[in-house]
Amino acid sequence: MTRNLPDHHRLLLNALNNPASVVEYKIPDWELLLRLVRRVKLLGFLAAELERRDLLDKIPVRAANQLRSGLIRAKKLQQLAHWELNRIASALKDTPVPMIVLKGAAYALAKLPSAEGRYFVDLDIMVPKESLDQVEALLLKKGWRHRDISAYDERYYRAWSHEIPALIHRERETEIDIHHTIAPVTSRVKIDTCHLFDDAMTPSHTNYKILCPVDMVLHCAVNLFQNNELADDLRDLLDLHGSLAVFGNEDPGFWRKLIERANQLCLGKPLFYGIQFSRLVFQTPVPGNVENELNEKPSIFSRSIMHFLVPPALFPLHPDKPSKYARLARFLLYLRSHWIRMPLHLLLPHLAYKCYLMVVPGKTVAKELGR
Amino acid sequence: MIVEQVPVERFVSLLSEQGLRVKLGPFNVQIRTKLLQLASQLYPLYANYELVEDEIAEFHVQVLPKHSVRRPFASFVRFLIDGQSPFPSFPSDQALAVLEWGINLAVAVRTNHLLLFHSAVVERNDGAMLLPAWPGSGKTTLCTALVHRGYRLFSDEFGLMDPQLGDFLPVPRLMPLKNQSIGVIRNYLPEAVLGDEIFNTQKGTVAHVRPPKESIQRAGETAKAKWIVFPKWVANAPLKLEPLPQSEAFLLLASNSFNYGMLGETSFKAVTQLVRTCRCYKLVYSDFDRVIAALNELTDDT
Repeated sequence: MTRNLPDHHRLLLNALNNPASVVEYKIPDWELLLRLVRRVKLLGFLAAELERRDLLDKIPVRAANQLRSGLIRAKKLQQLAHWELNRIASALKDTPVPMIVLKGAAYALAKLPSAEGRYFVDLDIMVPKESLDQVEALLLKKGWRHRDISAYDERYYRAWSHEIPALIHRERETEIDIHHTIAPVTSRVKIDTCHLFDDAMTPSHTNYKILCPVDMVLHCAVNLFQNNELADDLRDLLDLHGSLAVFGNEDPGFWRKLIERANQLCLGKPLFYGIQFSRLVFQTPVPGNVENELNEKPSIFSRSIMHFLVPPALFPLHPDKPSKYARLARFLLYLRSHWIRMPLHLLLPHLAYKCYLMVVPGKTVAKELGR
Repeated sequence: MIVEQVPVERFVSLLSEQGLRVKLGPFNVQIRTKLLQLASQLYPLYANYELVEDEIAEFHVQVLPKHSVRRPFASFVRFLIDGQSPFPSFPSDQALAVLEWGINLAVAVRTNHLLLFHSAVVERNDGAMLLPAWPGSGKTTLCTALVHRGYRLFSDEFGLMDPQLGDFLPVPRLMPLKNQSIGVIRNYLPEAVLGDEIFNTQKGTVAHVRPPKESIQRAGETAKAKWIVFPKWVANAPLKLEPLPQSEAFLLLASNSFNYGMLGETSFKAVTQLVRTCRCYKLVYSDFDRVIAALNELTDDT
């Protein structure tokens, strides 16, 4: 992998895979590295890695200042997310609704290595679909509100998405995304969420529920290869790498359980890509060819296309000279993400609407009409 | 080497190609723009800034023309930091204000290794004087007057404090005068170098004052704060300089900080130490001669 990588990708990947090596970086390398890690939201992560190794005093002071600034921000955002979680739990304490913490906050609760220094911009939780109205109504009563969104977006969320429009608390302004499943309801993947709730676990030092290790890995893979457009999503792949490495190391039966669960939930394809790219980019220690035991695998044709498109999308563009090829790869993956998320009869009107918005921004129109 | 030692053609080509790299106090900024009007405004105003060589630039900003499909004949500009646009586009005659505002935003959002007060800071007799205030209280105007009357400019906008050492760091940037202040300063300080007046910005008409050369040359010299003065300009008001209790100064400082909450305990301790070691005042003024005399007296008395 590293052989064919553009220089700026190698600079970034080397810093992430082998943080101690950055003490050798020259001034121009540092300047570029800081811009790249910011773009993929990993400034705080790199700072945490360097701080843990006591290396922040051994690098150029300007770089260290930026990294420290990023780490302070990350720690504050984590504190806010944990407090918000505490507030949500308190608001829902009289209801028997089970709530599962997802994504970043869950990685922090599971003490995964990639959680340290991670930026928490919002908080993701999941509740059963049948309790969604009740939870939403309760939170709205207790100080949260919806952001102003257009009627179109409102309908998009309610009818087609795996989450409802975000809620924010009127004083704290932390955003909460409430999910009822882990993939959009319109996608070809249908997940029986009962299994996710049944097997959720509570880490020893907390009162919150998180997905069990195999489901956490699957959710990460689904999010990356099913829900997202992959552009600049290197952080999510790093999350996947971190969770595979930790869980695989803790439990010798992890890999067998992971494959069985993926087969049970019909999530073979995203997991296949997740394992492949995590190993390709971060050299994740995945035994043998476990992904070949998946029932559902992408075709050889899809695999080879993805092999060319995914890395240039995940890694950031060069800030001064973005490659045309990488832009094309990102555009194609953008189309792919919509293609697998929605059937064609929904997708075409949706993309048409998005094009219309690019020309006539909805909010500006509303404002001008209001004047 | 400083900007004025660079021929104007070279200055324009730096801006339009690899980027102009200048030292703004503790930060290095790389600026790129192909807009000739902006380049010609920047050349005299940035004349005294040092060019950055062999150092990391923390901020990479760009001002680009933007073409609007909806209004094809109007001319707009976009501000980008690291290729991303943090706010919407503006009419292109506001490019300089947009650039300065954008750099301030970048400093405010990305800097947490320092405590950031929303405050003008000037230095006299080896002590820094903080002038924290809400927008509209005349802090830039007062700061402009002081730095042309013997005070050294740290900043009209940012009090940058190293929370461990307790030192304030100069970041002498252009000072944007607003509306009536422009005429007031032109009358009071004919020697001040002002940029073009920029009309219809979000804050009305703006004109930028170039910081005194000495303030930029000495931007590496930090100082401990000795005085905290909360100023307010009130038309025709007699001068009033009253001591302020530490507790009140604490609250005013903490609520006038960009990242007080972000730094948590660190900022609580730093502000506590600051109000305990400084003399704190509330100032009401209308007349420059009187206010400068009063502040001179204050800063002479050490």
